[in-house]
Amino acid sequence: MKYLEPETVDEAITALASAEDARCLAGGATLVAMLNAELVDPKVLVGLRKIHALRGISRTADGIRIGAMTTHNEIAADDRLTGATAVLRSAAGQIAHEAIRHVGTIGGSIAHADPSADWPAAITAAGASVEIASSSGTRSVSVDEFFLGYLQTAVQPGELVTAIDIPRGPKNARGHYLKFARVDGDYATASIAIVLAMDGKRCDYIRFAAGACGPGPLRVVAAEERLLGTELKAEDIAAAGDLLAAEADPVSDVRGSSEYRRLLIPRLLKRAITLVTQQ
Amino acid sequence: MTESVHIDLRINGEVRSLQVETKRTLLEVLRQDLLLTGTKRGCNQGVCGACSILVDGHSIRSCLSLAVAMQGRDIVTIEGLSDGARLDRVQQAFLDAGAIQCGFCMPGMIITAKALLDKNPRPSTEEIRHALGNNICRCSGYVKVIDAVHRAATT
Repeated sequence: MKYLEPETVDEAITALASAEDARCLAGGATLVAMLNAELVDPKVLVGLRKIHALRGISRTADGIRIGAMTTHNEIAADDRLTGATAVLRSAAGQIAHEAIRHVGTIGGSIAHADPSADWPAAITAAGASVEIASSSGTRSVSVDEFFLGYLQTAVQPGELVTAIDIPRGPKNARGHYLKFARVDGDYATASIAIVLAMDGKRCDYIRFAAGACGPGPLRVVAAEERLLGTELKAEDIAAAGDLLAAEADPVSDVRGSSEYRRLLIPRLLKRAITLVTQQ
Repeated sequence: MTESVHIDLRINGEVRSLQVETKRTLLEVLRQDLLLTGTKRGCNQGVCGACSILVDGHSIRSCLSLAVAMQGRDIVTIEGLSDGARLDRVQQAFLDAGAIQCGFCMPGMIITAKALLDKNPRPSTEEIRHALGNNICRCSGYVKVIDAVHRAATT
Protein backbone atom coordinates (compact mmCIF):
# COMPACT_ATOMS: atom_id res chain seq x y z
CA MET A 1 0.00 0.00 0.00
CA LYS A 2 1.38 3.34 -1.06
CA TYR A 3 0.60 6.22 1.31
CA LEU A 4 0.37 9.75 -0.08
CA GLU A 5 -0.24 13.04 1.72
CA PRO A 6 -1.28 15.71 -0.78
CA GLU A 7 -1.61 19.32 0.35
CA THR A 8 -4.29 20.49 -2.06
CA VAL A 9 -7.55 19.08 -3.39
CA ASP A 10 -6.11 18.98 -6.91
CA GLU A 11 -3.14 16.95 -5.74
CA ALA A 12 -5.51 14.62 -3.90
CA ILE A 13 -7.51 14.02 -7.08
CA THR A 14 -4.32 13.27 -9.00
CA ALA A 15 -3.29 10.85 -6.22
CA LEU A 16 -6.73 9.17 -6.28
CA ALA A 17 -6.34 8.62 -10.03
CA SER A 18 -3.09 6.72 -9.52
CA ALA A 19 -4.82 3.42 -8.67
CA GLU A 20 -8.26 2.02 -9.39
CA ASP A 21 -8.95 1.13 -5.79
CA ALA A 22 -7.32 4.20 -4.22
CA ARG A 23 -9.00 5.29 -1.00
CA CYS A 24 -9.06 8.51 0.98
CA LEU A 25 -8.01 8.46 4.62
CA ALA A 26 -9.80 11.11 6.66
CA GLY A 27 -9.74 10.62 10.45
CA GLY A 28 -9.25 6.86 10.20
CA ALA A 29 -11.91 5.99 12.77
CA THR A 30 -13.60 3.63 10.32
CA LEU A 31 -11.09 3.00 7.54
CA VAL A 32 -8.20 1.97 9.79
CA ALA A 33 -10.53 -0.37 11.67
CA MET A 34 -11.45 -1.87 8.27
CA LEU A 35 -7.77 -2.19 7.33
CA ASN A 36 -7.12 -3.92 10.67
CA ALA A 37 -9.97 -6.35 9.97
CA GLU A 38 -8.60 -6.90 6.43
CA LEU A 39 -11.91 -5.82 4.91
CA VAL A 40 -10.16 -3.41 2.53
CA ASP A 41 -6.75 -3.56 0.92
CA PRO A 42 -6.22 -0.50 -1.28
CA LYS A 43 -3.05 -0.15 -3.35
CA VAL A 44 -3.00 3.58 -2.70
CA LEU A 45 -4.14 5.43 0.39
CA VAL A 46 -4.53 9.19 0.11
CA GLY A 47 -4.22 10.86 3.51
CA LEU A 48 -6.16 14.14 3.59
CA ARG A 49 -4.86 15.57 6.87
CA LYS A 50 -2.56 18.15 5.24
CA ILE A 51 -5.24 19.71 3.03
CA HIS A 52 -6.15 22.78 5.07
CA ALA A 53 -8.85 23.80 2.60
CA LEU A 54 -10.93 20.81 3.73
CA ARG A 55 -11.04 21.90 7.35
CA GLY A 56 -13.28 24.24 9.26
CA ILE A 57 -16.72 25.76 9.45
CA SER A 58 -17.69 29.01 7.76
CA ARG A 59 -20.79 31.10 7.16
CA THR A 60 -22.09 31.32 3.61
CA ALA A 61 -24.81 33.42 1.99
CA ASP A 62 -27.35 30.63 2.57
CA GLY A 63 -26.17 29.03 5.75
CA ILE A 64 -23.12 27.16 6.95
CA ARG A 65 -20.37 25.31 5.11
CA ILE A 66 -18.50 22.52 6.83
CA GLY A 67 -15.25 21.26 5.33
CA ALA A 68 -15.11 17.50 4.86
CA MET A 69 -12.15 17.09 7.23
CA THR A 70 -13.85 18.93 10.10
CA THR A 71 -14.01 16.65 13.14
CA HIS A 72 -17.14 15.68 15.03
CA ASN A 73 -15.77 17.51 18.09
CA GLU A 74 -15.21 20.73 16.13
CA ILE A 75 -18.81 20.61 14.92
CA ALA A 76 -20.17 19.77 18.39
CA ALA A 77 -18.34 22.80 19.80
CA ASP A 78 -19.44 25.38 17.21
CA ASP A 79 -22.04 27.74 18.65
CA ARG A 80 -22.85 29.19 15.23
CA LEU A 81 -24.82 26.01 14.56
CA THR A 82 -28.16 27.24 15.82
CA GLY A 83 -31.72 27.06 14.46
CA ALA A 84 -32.06 24.47 11.71
CA THR A 85 -28.31 23.79 11.67
CA ALA A 86 -28.44 22.82 15.37
CA VAL A 87 -29.42 19.32 14.21
CA LEU A 88 -25.78 18.87 13.17
CA ARG A 89 -24.34 20.13 16.41
CA SER A 90 -26.72 17.89 18.32
CA ALA A 91 -25.74 14.83 16.26
CA ALA A 92 -21.99 15.57 16.43
CA GLY A 93 -21.93 15.54 20.22
CA GLN A 94 -23.60 12.13 20.34
CA ILE A 95 -21.21 10.29 18.02
CA ALA A 96 -19.26 7.52 19.77
CA HIS A 97 -16.89 8.91 22.41
CA GLU A 98 -14.49 11.79 22.88
CA ALA A 99 -11.48 9.84 21.50
CA ILE A 100 -13.38 9.04 18.30
CA ARG A 101 -15.01 12.48 17.96
CA HIS A 102 -11.56 14.03 18.16
CA VAL A 103 -10.35 12.25 15.01
CA GLY A 104 -13.50 11.26 13.09
CA THR A 105 -14.69 13.63 10.37
CA ILE A 106 -18.03 14.47 8.83
CA GLY A 107 -16.71 13.92 5.30
CA GLY A 108 -15.25 10.54 6.15
CA SER A 109 -18.46 9.41 7.76
CA ILE A 110 -20.83 10.45 4.99
CA ALA A 111 -18.53 9.11 2.25
CA HIS A 112 -18.58 5.75 4.04
CA ALA A 113 -22.41 5.95 4.24
CA ASP A 114 -23.01 3.49 7.05
CA PRO A 115 -26.75 3.88 7.74
CA SER A 116 -26.12 3.21 11.44
CA ALA A 117 -23.85 6.24 11.68
CA ASP A 118 -25.29 9.53 12.89
CA TRP A 119 -24.40 11.90 10.05
CA PRO A 120 -26.51 10.47 7.21
CA ALA A 121 -29.84 11.10 8.99
CA ALA A 122 -28.66 14.42 10.45
CA ILE A 123 -27.60 15.98 7.15
CA THR A 124 -30.71 14.58 5.46
CA ALA A 125 -32.97 16.35 7.97
CA ALA A 126 -30.91 19.50 7.49
CA GLY A 127 -31.49 19.39 3.71
CA ALA A 128 -27.75 19.61 3.10
CA SER A 129 -25.84 19.52 -0.17
CA VAL A 130 -22.58 17.68 -0.54
CA GLU A 131 -19.78 19.20 -2.60
CA ILE A 132 -17.80 16.61 -4.55
CA ALA A 133 -14.56 17.36 -6.40
CA SER A 134 -13.15 15.51 -9.37
CA SER A 135 -10.65 16.19 -12.13
CA SER A 136 -13.40 18.04 -14.03
CA GLY A 137 -14.17 20.45 -11.18
CA THR A 138 -16.69 20.41 -8.36
CA ARG A 139 -20.37 19.52 -8.27
CA SER A 140 -22.97 19.90 -5.57
CA VAL A 141 -25.31 16.98 -4.86
CA SER A 142 -28.47 17.27 -2.81
CA VAL A 143 -28.44 14.95 0.19
CA ASP A 144 -31.59 13.31 -1.20
CA GLU A 145 -29.49 12.10 -4.14
CA PHE A 146 -26.28 11.49 -2.23
CA PHE A 147 -27.02 8.32 -0.25
CA LEU A 148 -27.78 5.54 -2.72
CA GLY A 149 -27.81 2.47 -0.50
CA TYR A 150 -25.84 0.55 2.08
CA LEU A 151 -22.30 2.00 1.97
CA GLN A 152 -23.12 3.53 -1.41
CA THR A 153 -23.09 7.19 -2.35
CA ALA A 154 -23.06 9.40 -5.42
CA VAL A 155 -19.27 9.72 -5.05
CA GLN A 156 -17.62 8.05 -8.05
CA PRO A 157 -14.13 6.51 -8.16
CA GLY A 158 -11.59 9.31 -8.39
CA GLU A 159 -13.90 11.78 -6.65
CA LEU A 160 -13.61 13.30 -3.22
CA VAL A 161 -16.13 14.82 -0.80
CA THR A 162 -14.88 18.34 -0.06
CA ALA A 163 -17.63 20.11 1.90
CA ILE A 164 -21.16 19.91 3.25
CA ASP A 165 -23.42 22.93 2.82
CA ILE A 166 -26.20 23.35 5.35
CA PRO A 167 -29.00 25.81 4.52
CA ARG A 168 -30.03 28.21 7.27
CA GLY A 169 -33.62 26.99 6.91
CA PRO A 170 -36.75 29.01 7.52
CA LYS A 171 -37.04 31.61 10.26
CA ASN A 172 -37.71 30.10 13.69
CA ALA A 173 -36.46 26.71 12.52
CA ARG A 174 -35.11 24.41 15.19
CA GLY A 175 -33.18 21.20 14.88
CA HIS A 176 -32.49 18.21 17.06
CA TYR A 177 -30.96 14.75 16.77
CA LEU A 178 -32.50 12.08 18.95
CA LYS A 179 -30.34 9.00 19.29
CA PHE A 180 -31.59 5.81 20.87
CA ALA A 181 -28.71 3.48 21.71
CA ARG A 182 -28.16 0.54 24.04
CA VAL A 183 -25.28 2.19 25.84
CA ASP A 184 -23.52 5.55 25.74
CA GLY A 185 -21.29 5.82 22.67
CA ASP A 186 -22.77 2.90 20.72
CA TYR A 187 -24.19 3.15 17.22
CA ALA A 188 -27.88 4.03 17.24
CA THR A 189 -30.44 1.26 17.46
CA ALA A 190 -32.59 3.87 15.74
CA SER A 191 -32.44 7.64 15.56
CA ILE A 192 -34.52 10.60 14.40
CA ALA A 193 -33.01 13.79 13.03
CA ILE A 194 -35.50 16.63 12.73
CA VAL A 195 -35.76 20.25 11.65
CA LEU A 196 -39.04 22.09 12.04
CA ALA A 197 -40.50 25.59 12.27
CA MET A 198 -43.77 26.71 13.82
CA ASP A 199 -45.96 29.58 12.70
CA GLY A 200 -47.93 30.18 15.84
CA LYS A 201 -49.46 26.83 16.70
CA ARG A 202 -49.07 25.36 13.24
CA CYS A 203 -46.08 23.65 11.80
CA ASP A 204 -45.05 25.46 8.62
CA TYR A 205 -41.79 23.61 7.91
CA ILE A 206 -40.71 20.10 8.74
CA ARG A 207 -38.07 17.70 7.53
CA PHE A 208 -36.94 14.55 9.28
CA ALA A 209 -35.09 11.31 8.71
CA ALA A 210 -34.58 8.10 10.62
CA GLY A 211 -31.16 6.54 11.05
CA ALA A 212 -30.32 2.81 11.31
CA CYS A 213 -33.70 1.93 9.80
CA GLY A 214 -32.76 0.94 6.26
CA PRO A 215 -29.94 0.87 3.74
CA GLY A 216 -29.65 4.66 3.90
CA PRO A 217 -31.15 7.50 5.90
CA LEU A 218 -34.93 7.06 5.80
CA ARG A 219 -36.86 10.14 4.71
CA VAL A 220 -40.53 9.85 3.73
CA VAL A 221 -41.99 13.00 2.18
CA ALA A 222 -45.58 11.80 2.78
CA ALA A 223 -44.84 11.56 6.50
CA GLU A 224 -43.57 15.15 6.53
CA GLU A 225 -46.58 16.33 4.54
CA ARG A 226 -48.87 14.64 7.04
CA LEU A 227 -47.53 17.03 9.70
CA LEU A 228 -47.16 20.19 7.66
CA GLY A 229 -49.87 22.73 8.55
CA THR A 230 -51.04 20.72 11.54
CA GLU A 231 -50.77 21.62 15.22
CA LEU A 232 -48.61 18.51 15.71
CA LYS A 233 -51.25 16.82 17.81
CA ALA A 234 -50.64 13.30 19.08
CA GLU A 235 -52.80 11.74 16.33
CA ASP A 236 -50.93 13.69 13.61
CA ILE A 237 -47.57 12.53 14.92
CA ALA A 238 -48.76 8.94 15.28
CA ALA A 239 -50.03 8.93 11.68
CA ALA A 240 -46.76 10.40 10.40
CA GLY A 241 -44.78 7.91 12.46
CA ASP A 242 -46.71 5.05 10.89
CA LEU A 243 -45.99 6.41 7.40
CA LEU A 244 -42.29 6.59 8.23
CA ALA A 245 -42.19 3.12 9.81
CA ALA A 246 -44.04 1.61 6.84
CA GLU A 247 -41.13 2.54 4.55
CA ALA A 248 -38.44 1.34 6.95
CA ASP A 249 -36.31 -1.66 6.09
CA PRO A 250 -34.15 -2.15 9.16
CA VAL A 251 -31.73 -5.00 9.64
CA SER A 252 -31.86 -7.35 12.60
CA ASP A 253 -28.59 -7.28 14.46
CA VAL A 254 -27.10 -7.22 17.92
CA ARG A 255 -28.63 -3.78 18.55
CA GLY A 256 -32.20 -4.84 17.90
CA SER A 257 -34.44 -6.86 15.63
CA SER A 258 -35.97 -5.41 12.53
CA GLU A 259 -39.38 -5.54 14.18
CA TYR A 260 -38.17 -3.76 17.30
CA ARG A 261 -36.61 -0.97 15.25
CA ARG A 262 -39.83 -0.54 13.30
CA LEU A 263 -41.71 -0.19 16.60
CA LEU A 264 -39.24 2.40 17.81
CA ILE A 265 -39.70 4.74 14.85
CA PRO A 266 -43.10 6.32 15.71
CA ARG A 267 -42.18 6.52 19.38
CA LEU A 268 -38.88 8.24 18.66
CA LEU A 269 -40.54 10.62 16.21
CA LYS A 270 -42.97 11.67 18.91
CA ARG A 271 -40.18 12.14 21.42
CA ALA A 272 -38.07 14.11 18.93
CA ILE A 273 -40.95 16.46 18.07
CA THR A 274 -41.69 17.01 21.76
CA LEU A 275 -38.04 17.79 22.43
CA VAL A 276 -37.62 20.15 19.50
CA THR A 277 -40.86 22.07 20.06
CA GLN A 278 -40.03 22.56 23.74
CA GLN A 279 -36.60 24.01 22.94
CA MET B 1 3.27 -5.82 -1.91
CA THR B 2 3.61 -3.85 1.26
CA GLU B 3 5.49 -0.64 1.00
CA SER B 4 7.68 0.61 3.79
CA VAL B 5 8.70 4.18 4.44
CA HIS B 6 10.99 6.09 6.73
CA ILE B 7 9.23 8.18 9.38
CA ASP B 8 10.11 10.26 12.40
CA LEU B 9 7.73 10.09 15.34
CA ARG B 10 7.91 12.24 18.46
CA ILE B 11 7.15 9.86 21.31
CA ASN B 12 7.42 10.70 25.01
CA GLY B 13 9.51 13.74 24.15
CA GLU B 14 12.01 11.90 21.95
CA VAL B 15 12.16 11.75 18.17
CA ARG B 16 12.31 8.12 17.02
CA SER B 17 13.36 7.33 13.45
CA LEU B 18 11.75 4.21 12.07
CA GLN B 19 11.24 2.23 8.91
CA VAL B 20 7.61 1.09 8.89
CA GLU B 21 5.19 -0.56 6.53
CA THR B 22 2.47 1.90 5.53
CA LYS B 23 -0.32 -0.37 6.74
CA ARG B 24 0.91 -0.66 10.29
CA THR B 25 -0.90 1.14 13.04
CA LEU B 26 0.78 3.30 15.62
CA LEU B 27 -0.25 0.68 18.19
CA GLU B 28 1.73 -2.03 16.39
CA VAL B 29 4.76 0.22 16.00
CA LEU B 30 4.68 1.26 19.66
CA ARG B 31 4.46 -2.31 20.90
CA GLN B 32 6.56 -4.22 18.37
CA ASP B 33 9.20 -1.77 17.16
CA LEU B 34 9.62 0.47 20.17
CA LEU B 35 8.74 -2.15 22.82
CA LEU B 36 6.46 0.33 24.55
CA THR B 37 4.14 -2.48 25.61
CA GLY B 38 2.23 -0.50 28.21
CA THR B 39 -0.21 0.43 25.47
CA LYS B 40 -2.44 -2.62 25.03
CA ARG B 41 -4.09 -4.18 22.04
CA GLY B 42 -7.68 -5.11 22.83
CA CYS B 43 -10.29 -5.04 20.10
CA ASN B 44 -8.13 -3.38 17.40
CA GLN B 45 -11.35 -1.70 16.24
CA GLY B 46 -11.42 1.47 18.34
CA VAL B 47 -14.07 0.24 20.75
CA CYS B 48 -12.35 -0.93 23.94
CA GLY B 49 -9.96 1.94 24.76
CA ALA B 50 -7.05 -0.30 25.83
CA CYS B 51 -4.76 1.30 23.22
CA SER B 52 -5.46 4.92 24.26
CA ILE B 53 -2.54 7.32 23.99
CA LEU B 54 -2.21 11.11 24.14
CA VAL B 55 -1.67 12.94 20.88
CA ASP B 56 -1.19 16.69 21.19
CA GLY B 57 -2.84 16.37 24.60
CA HIS B 58 -5.95 14.52 23.42
CA SER B 59 -6.72 10.90 24.16
CA ILE B 60 -7.02 8.93 20.93
CA ARG B 61 -6.94 5.30 19.81
CA SER B 62 -3.52 4.17 18.62
CA CYS B 63 -5.16 1.20 16.84
CA LEU B 64 -7.05 3.63 14.58
CA SER B 65 -3.97 5.64 13.66
CA LEU B 66 -1.61 4.62 10.89
CA ALA B 67 1.96 5.25 12.02
CA VAL B 68 2.78 7.02 8.73
CA ALA B 69 0.04 9.56 9.38
CA MET B 70 1.35 10.50 12.83
CA GLN B 71 4.47 12.40 11.84
CA GLY B 72 4.70 15.84 13.38
CA ARG B 73 2.38 14.97 16.27
CA ASP B 74 3.33 14.94 19.93
CA ILE B 75 2.69 11.39 21.15
CA VAL B 76 2.66 10.38 24.82
CA THR B 77 2.18 6.79 25.95
CA ILE B 78 1.66 5.46 29.46
CA GLU B 79 5.44 5.08 29.74
CA GLY B 80 5.79 8.82 29.19
CA LEU B 81 3.62 9.89 32.11
CA SER B 82 6.09 9.29 34.90
CA ASP B 83 9.44 11.08 35.03
CA GLY B 84 11.24 7.80 35.71
CA ALA B 85 11.40 8.33 39.46
CA ARG B 86 7.93 9.44 40.40
CA LEU B 87 4.56 8.35 39.06
CA ASP B 88 2.19 10.86 37.53
CA ARG B 89 -0.50 11.90 40.01
CA VAL B 90 -3.14 10.02 38.01
CA GLN B 91 -1.09 6.81 38.15
CA GLN B 92 -0.51 7.30 41.87
CA ALA B 93 -4.21 7.90 42.48
CA PHE B 94 -5.12 4.66 40.69
CA LEU B 95 -2.63 2.80 42.91
CA ASP B 96 -3.87 4.49 46.08
CA ALA B 97 -7.51 3.79 45.24
CA GLY B 98 -6.75 0.13 44.52
CA ALA B 99 -8.41 0.62 41.15
CA ILE B 100 -6.39 -2.08 39.43
CA GLN B 101 -7.61 -5.64 39.03
CA CYS B 102 -6.02 -7.59 36.16
CA GLY B 103 -4.47 -4.34 34.94
CA PHE B 104 -4.96 -4.79 31.20
CA CYS B 105 -7.24 -1.79 30.72
CA MET B 106 -5.33 0.43 33.16
CA PRO B 107 -2.96 2.24 30.75
CA GLY B 108 -5.95 3.23 28.62
CA MET B 109 -8.01 4.22 31.66
CA ILE B 110 -5.18 6.35 33.05
CA ILE B 111 -4.55 8.05 29.70
CA THR B 112 -8.26 8.84 29.32
CA ALA B 113 -8.44 10.11 32.91
CA LYS B 114 -5.36 12.25 32.31
CA ALA B 115 -6.90 13.82 29.18
CA LEU B 116 -10.12 14.47 31.09
CA LEU B 117 -8.39 16.08 34.08
CA ASP B 118 -6.21 18.28 31.86
CA LYS B 119 -9.39 19.77 30.39
CA ASN B 120 -11.64 19.54 33.43
CA PRO B 121 -9.65 19.58 36.68
CA ARG B 122 -12.61 18.85 38.98
CA PRO B 123 -15.00 16.58 37.06
CA SER B 124 -18.25 15.37 38.59
CA THR B 125 -18.90 11.65 38.94
CA GLU B 126 -21.23 11.92 35.95
CA GLU B 127 -18.51 13.57 33.85
CA ILE B 128 -16.00 10.90 34.86
CA ARG B 129 -18.43 8.12 33.98
CA HIS B 130 -19.14 9.75 30.64
CA ALA B 131 -15.43 10.20 29.80
CA LEU B 132 -14.54 6.64 30.80
CA GLY B 133 -17.46 5.22 28.85
CA ASN B 134 -14.67 5.04 26.31
CA ASN B 135 -12.75 2.37 28.19
CA ILE B 136 -13.88 -1.16 28.86
CA CYS B 137 -12.77 -3.06 31.98
CA ARG B 138 -13.63 -6.75 31.67
CA CYS B 139 -13.06 -7.21 35.40
CA SER B 140 -15.87 -4.61 35.70
CA GLY B 141 -13.91 -2.72 38.32
CA TYR B 142 -15.40 0.63 37.48
CA VAL B 143 -16.30 1.91 40.95
CA LYS B 144 -12.73 2.17 42.16
CA VAL B 145 -11.67 3.65 38.82
CA ILE B 146 -14.11 6.49 39.38
CA ASP B 147 -12.78 6.87 42.96
CA ALA B 148 -9.27 7.04 41.55
CA VAL B 149 -10.15 9.85 39.16
CA HIS B 150 -11.75 11.84 41.98
CA ARG B 151 -8.65 11.20 44.07
CA ALA B 152 -6.37 12.37 41.23
CA ALA B 153 -8.48 15.53 40.88
CA THR B 154 -7.92 16.44 44.53
CA THR B 155 -4.21 15.66 44.82
